[in-house]
Amino acid sequence: MKLQTFAAALLLLGTSAYAQNVAIVNAKAWTLATDTPTDNATIVINDGKIASVSVATPAPPGIRVIDAGGKIVTPGLMHPATRLGLIEVSSAAETVDHAAKAGAPGAGFDVQYAVNPNSVLIDLARADGVTRSLSYPSSSNTPPFAGSASLLHLFDGGDVVEQARVAVFVTISNRSANSTVGSRAAQWQLLRAALDTAKAAKPTLNGTADSTALEAVVQGKAPLAISTNRESDLRQAIRLASDYGIRVVIVGGAEAWRVADELAAAKIAVIVEPMSNLPSSFDELGSRLDNPALLRKAGVTVAMSLDGVQSYNAGLSIREGAGLAVANGLPYVDGLRSIITAPAEIWGVADRFGTLASSKDADVVIWDGDPLEPSSAPTTVLVQGREVSLTTRQTELRDRYMPAIKALRP
Amino acid sequence: MRPGLFRGLGHAGVMLVAAFAATSLHAARPEPPFTIDPYPSTYQPLPRTDTLIVDVTILDGAGGRMDQGEILLRDGRIAAVGRGLSRDNVTVVQGEGRWVTPGIIDVHSHNGTYVLPLTSLDRKASDVSETSDPNVADTWIEHAVNPQDPAFAVALRSGVTTIQVLPGSTPLFAGRSVIVKPMPATNVRAMKFPGAVQGLKMSCGENAKSYFGDKDEAPNSRQGEIAIIREAFLRAQEYRDEWREYSRGKSKKPPQRDLKLDTLAAVLDGAIPVHMHCYRASDMTVMMGIAQEFGFKIAAFHHATEAYKIAAQLKQAGTCVAVWSDWWGFKMELQDSIRENAAMVDAAGVCTMMHSDSPVVGQRLQIEAAKAAGAGRRGGLNLPPERVIAWVTSTPARLLRLGDRIGTIAAGFNADLVVWSGNPFSIYTKAERVFIDGAQVYDSAAPARSPESDFGLGRPEMGGRQ
Repeated sequence: MKLQTFAAALLLLGTSAYAQNVAIVNAKAWTLATDTPTDNATIVINDGKIASVSVATPAPPGIRVIDAGGKIVTPGLMHPATRLGLIEVSSAAETVDHAAKAGAPGAGFDVQYAVNPNSVLIDLARADGVTRSLSYPSSSNTPPFAGSASLLHLFDGGDVVEQARVAVFVTISNRSANSTVGSRAAQWQLLRAALDTAKAAKPTLNGTADSTALEAVVQGKAPLAISTNRESDLRQAIRLASDYGIRVVIVGGAEAWRVADELAAAKIAVIVEPMSNLPSSFDELGSRLDNPALLRKAGVTVAMSLDGVQSYNAGLSIREGAGLAVANGLPYVDGLRSIITAPAEIWGVADRFGTLASSKDADVVIWDGDPLEPSSAPTTVLVQGREVSLTTRQTELRDRYMPAIKALRP
Repeated sequence: MRPGLFRGLGHAGVMLVAAFAATSLHAARPEPPFTIDPYPSTYQPLPRTDTLIVDVTILDGAGGRMDQGEILLRDGRIAAVGRGLSRDNVTVVQGEGRWVTPGIIDVHSHNGTYVLPLTSLDRKASDVSETSDPNVADTWIEHAVNPQDPAFAVALRSGVTTIQVLPGSTPLFAGRSVIVKPMPATNVRAMKFPGAVQGLKMSCGENAKSYFGDKDEAPNSRQGEIAIIREAFLRAQEYRDEWREYSRGKSKKPPQRDLKLDTLAAVLDGAIPVHMHCYRASDMTVMMGIAQEFGFKIAAFHHATEAYKIAAQLKQAGTCVAVWSDWWGFKMELQDSIRENAAMVDAAGVCTMMHSDSPVVGQRLQIEAAKAAGAGRRGGLNLPPERVIAWVTSTPARLLRLGDRIGTIAAGFNADLVVWSGNPFSIYTKAERVFIDGAQVYDSAAPARSPESDFGLGRPEMGGRQ
C-alpha cells in the first residue's frame, strides 16, 4: 500500500517542505536542453528544483544519492491532452466528468472543479513516467465549444491542479458531439461570432464563465485549442489565428502534413495522433505515420496524444506513439521532446518544466531502457524532487496473483 | 491433419471436417449438414519464385532461434531451414542480419465489416454483428466482409498474413467467423484460407445485457444471458441427436434444417471451435462450466483480462486466451486488467496469444507481445524472444486449427513469413518483406507496388503506404 496518509500530511506543509535533496549520478541524461545525451551526468536536486547538471561530478556530501547505473534519465513526461482526473471508467457515467450537458457553460466549462486526484489512472500515468498533464473537456452544451482545460502536476496525493483555464478547447468536425449544429461551416461561424463578441467586450469584473474564457483567448492570455483533422479545417484554423491575432493549437491534425509549411509559418503547434494511418473517418483520409516527422521537418512544434487511451494509458501510449513516429522519420530527440518539452512549450509552462536544467522543477525519470520503447518502464520517478511510489492498482493485482502463477510454472 | 490435406477439397463444395467419421460406414445416408460450406475458397497464391533468404536471425515461432540462418522457399512451402543451403536455381535475398519470423496471425479482427472510413451508416447499422437477436448463430460474417476495407492492405504491409474476422460481441451467439489472407481481392472467397474451419463467436458479460436490456429485451442480466445460452444448447443437443438418428438410418425423414442449430450442433461435435468474448474471471469460469455441462470445449477466451486470476482452471480446461497488453479500463468489467496478463498465464502453462480487435493494434501485435513480456520481466517472469513470438505466430495458428500449416518456420509449412528490419519486438522495426505461400506480397523498397484498397484511387494522396 502507498503512504498516502503520510504524503497528504506532508503536503499540508507545502511543496518545498517535503522535497528532498537528491543527487542522481552516473546518468545518461537527455536534458533536452541540447540535441544529444550527456553521459555520466550528475543531476543535483535541491528543494524540488534542479540545482545543476554536470559531467562526472561527485555528489555533494550529505545528500541522498541515486545511482542511475548508466541508464537513461529524462525530465518527467507531460501528456498534452488527456482526461486524467476526469474519466475513471468511460462507460460508467458516475465516473465521467469531462463533458457538460444542458444548462452548463460552453467555452467557460471549467474542468478544474471535477479533477479527482485519487484516480487510479493518475497512479498508472505516474508509474509510466508522466509528471504533468493537461486535462481537457470534450464537449459542452454550446458546440463547437468543449470548455477550458486544466494543467495537472501529478503529485502522489493532494491537489494536483496546478493551473486552471490554461486553454479553451473547441471541436470542429461534422460528427457526433457537434451534430446539433450540423455543417462545419456553422461551427466555424459560431466560433467566429463568439470571438467577435469577446473582442468587442469591455473589460468587466463580472463576466460569465464563457465570456471570461473567450476574452482570455482574444487577449492572448490563453490559446484556443482546436480539435480537428481535415485539411480544409486546418486551413480555417490558420486563417482564424491570423484574423483574430490569437494563439491556436491543433489537436488531432490527421492531415496537418498537407499544410505543414503554413502551420510552421503561423507558429501553430500540433498535438498529433501518432498511430493514425487509417482513413478512420472522412476527415482523416490523409492519415499517415510520418505526419509527425513531416510537421517537425517543416518546423512545427509537435506533441503526442492518442484519442481513446489518453487516460487509461496516458504514459505508455504517448511513449509508444513517439517511438512509432521516430520509426517513421522523426529524429529521436524530437521524439523525446514531443512528449516532454513540446507539451510544456505548447501550454506555457516551459519556464519551469520540460528540460533538465538549473532552476527547473525536479520532475525526473530514470528508465530501465529506452523510454520510447513501450516495453521499457521507469525505475524511479521524482515529482518536484520527491520520489513517488510506482505502486499502482495494477501492480497490486499482479502481486496478489503472482504466487499462484509461480506455483503453476512447469 | 497434414499440410495440404484439404488443398483443393474446397472446390468439391464440402471443405469442413466431417462430423461423424464413425457413421460414415453407413454411407447410404448423408452426413449431418452442420459444417457444409457452399461458398468455398477461390484463393490463388500470387506468382512466386523459389527463394533463399540468407543471413537472418530466425525466430521460428515454435520456440526456436537460429542466428545467421537460411530459409529456402520452394513451391510455396518452406523447403529447408539451416545454414549453407544450396543456392542453385533460387532468388537469393540477403538478410544482412535482419530478423525473420512466421507471418503474424491475428485471431480477432473486424476488418472488412467495420469498413473505413466509418460513417453514420455504420453507427446506425454496422456489419460487425447482426443485433436483431441475442442468438444469431445462423449468421456468417463472411457474407458481410468487404475486401476493399483499407485496413486489410495496412495489415498486410505490417506483416500480418492470416486474419480471423469475427462477428462482434453484442449478441451472445454472434455467428461464424472466417479466416482470410489479407490479399487484394474483389470478394471474400478469393481471400478465404483454403480448408480453414470456421469458428463461432460467443460473448458473455456486459455487452449483450446492456444492448438488449436498453431495448427492454432479453437478456438484461448475466443470469439471463446464461439461461438463453443453456436453452440454445439444449435445443442443439436435440437437433444433433435427430440428425444422428437420421444418419444412422433410424429415422426416415431428415430433420428440418435450422441454420442456428447447425452452428451449435457443430460446436457440440467439436467441429467448430468456440471463440468466447469474456473479461471477468467469474464470467469465464461460468462459461467453462457450461462447456462442461454440454460436453464441448471453449477454444479460447478473447480479451480475458482476468485470465491471470484463473490460470489453473484455464490450463486444466485446455482453453487458450487471446489478450491485449494494455487496452483496458473503458468498461467496469475491464477494471482488473494488468499488462502482465499474457506473461503470467503463459508462465503458468496456459496457451496464450495476443489479439487486436482493432485495425490499429492489429498492425503491431508483436509490439503488444513486447509490452506484455516487458511487464512480465519486471514481475520476475523471464520470457525470451523465441518464446514470446509464439504469441503471435504458432499459438494463434493452433487456435485456428492451422497449426500444421502456418505459424512456424519449418520444412513443410506454408511459406508465410516476414523479413523485419531488426528485432521485431522493437518499436523502431518495420516489416520489410512479407511472403504468403512463397510469393512476396509486400516489399517496403517498392512502395508503388504495395497493395492498396480501391478506396484510395482518385483521391489526394493517402498516407497508408508507408
